[in-house]
Amino acid sequence: MTGQFSQEVLQKLVAHWVPGQRQNQPFRVYRDTSNFFSIEYGDIVILNDTPYLIRHNTKEGRFGLDDEVKYWVKRAIDLATGEAKIVKLVFHEKFIARIGDISFECFRSPLKEARILNLVGSRPNFMHGISVQDDQGNMVRILDVIGGITLADHVWDLASRIDHETYFYQYFPEILDNYIECAEAIRFLHQAGEKHGDIRRDHIIVDRDSGVYRWIDFDYNFRHRENMFGYDLFGLGNVLMFLVGMGDLLVPRLKIDKPDIFARLSDNDTNIVFNNRVANLIKIYPYIPEDLNRILMHFSKSANVFYDQAAELLDDLYEFKSDFFKKEITNES
Amino acid sequence: MSPEINRNILIAVDASENSRRAVEYVGNLLGDIKGFKATLLHVIREPEEDEFPDPGEKDKWYQEHRRHVNRMLAEYRGMLMEAGFADADVSARSSLRYCPSMAECILAEMDSLEYATLVVGRRGLSLKEEFLFGSISGKIVRIARNCAVWVVE
Repeated sequence: MTGQFSQEVLQKLVAHWVPGQRQNQPFRVYRDTSNFFSIEYGDIVILNDTPYLIRHNTKEGRFGLDDEVKYWVKRAIDLATGEAKIVKLVFHEKFIARIGDISFECFRSPLKEARILNLVGSRPNFMHGISVQDDQGNMVRILDVIGGITLADHVWDLASRIDHETYFYQYFPEILDNYIECAEAIRFLHQAGEKHGDIRRDHIIVDRDSGVYRWIDFDYNFRHRENMFGYDLFGLGNVLMFLVGMGDLLVPRLKIDKPDIFARLSDNDTNIVFNNRVANLIKIYPYIPEDLNRILMHFSKSANVFYDQAAELLDDLYEFKSDFFKKEITNES
Repeated sequence: MSPEINRNILIAVDASENSRRAVEYVGNLLGDIKGFKATLLHVIREPEEDEFPDPGEKDKWYQEHRRHVNRMLAEYRGMLMEAGFADADVSARSSLRYCPSMAECILAEMDSLEYATLVVGRRGLSLKEEFLFGSISGKIVRIARNCAVWVVE
């Protein structure tokens, strides 16, 4: 017996919501999640008087590396509703993040993620969920599952099927609108004094049901220096560059595939931090509008003015959009 | 000397080499001139609430950090006195603050202390570091009002 959930009650709930689940042993029931390694497939975690049936650990892949198992992030089924959830347990991890040749200390911050979940509520451009404390005071986050693929996978899928010019004129306008919504969501966080902390193209999920782009993973944190939001802005710039280019335009690849373009590139044309990524995309795709390319160049080695806030980036994007569409209308008439 | 001029100098410092140069500069420039008072200021940035797994570890970090800061401020104080400042004319203070922007925190401390001149060192960040993390001295120069700012490189 564990509180109101006896083994018999749990058996009934599991049989109701997960009829295929075979259970020969009594359930192991946890109310203290401190030792997350010991919580395994088929166990029950009770949080805020709700039992969750634990399924598998989640994985995260990055830059072609094998998927890393995240033992503190579990797929689960809410046995009160039958809904699939992601249960993020507390893992106090400190690690060194490396961006180009710069490194700095980061840490996972369950409290930050809980604050942001509470702040964003049901705003469409974020993942949704609640945070509850287990019996030991660990701040556990219970997240809704978003059906869909990452923005990175979405763009790579398009890149495997169409050429850049088709992409740019047929798909990019809608992608840009969605990106702007995402940047607005980051502006909202910043205005509330919160940073996302790990803005990447695979931390945006394209919601299969609504088509909305949604930010995930808010638990990265670091002791910022002067500009609390500089790293987020850098992330927004990288994502924009990836979207405009329909992928990363890598200098070594261009040297092999397009030596004539490679010959025209200078150091100033590359990303301010990633030396091997081209930022000055107009040199590769000349139909990219100057105003849009100018925004990308804020994230290049030739930049002498940086965006301090998401609002500044957004102002430039809105101005580009309005001018671009004005020109299109003029050309048509 | 004209009595209406505010001769209180605030030197914002940390443990970096550029801070040491800023202290040296003030000592060399003003140490032999009577009437100036210098205050060394170090703002300790309040860590995020769960940067440390438990309050005990945070407290341990804070005590250790505070010891380093006190040692650093004592050393800088000694440098100013060696350069000619009188013992009574040099003070030091450190405060633990929630600081989304260190530049704004330093300027807020300065306002509360009624100093008219602020001295900071400049780290000499690379372009990409300045882009990613921002520059404290750069922001101070941009937003400071009603005071003189000396940036020592």
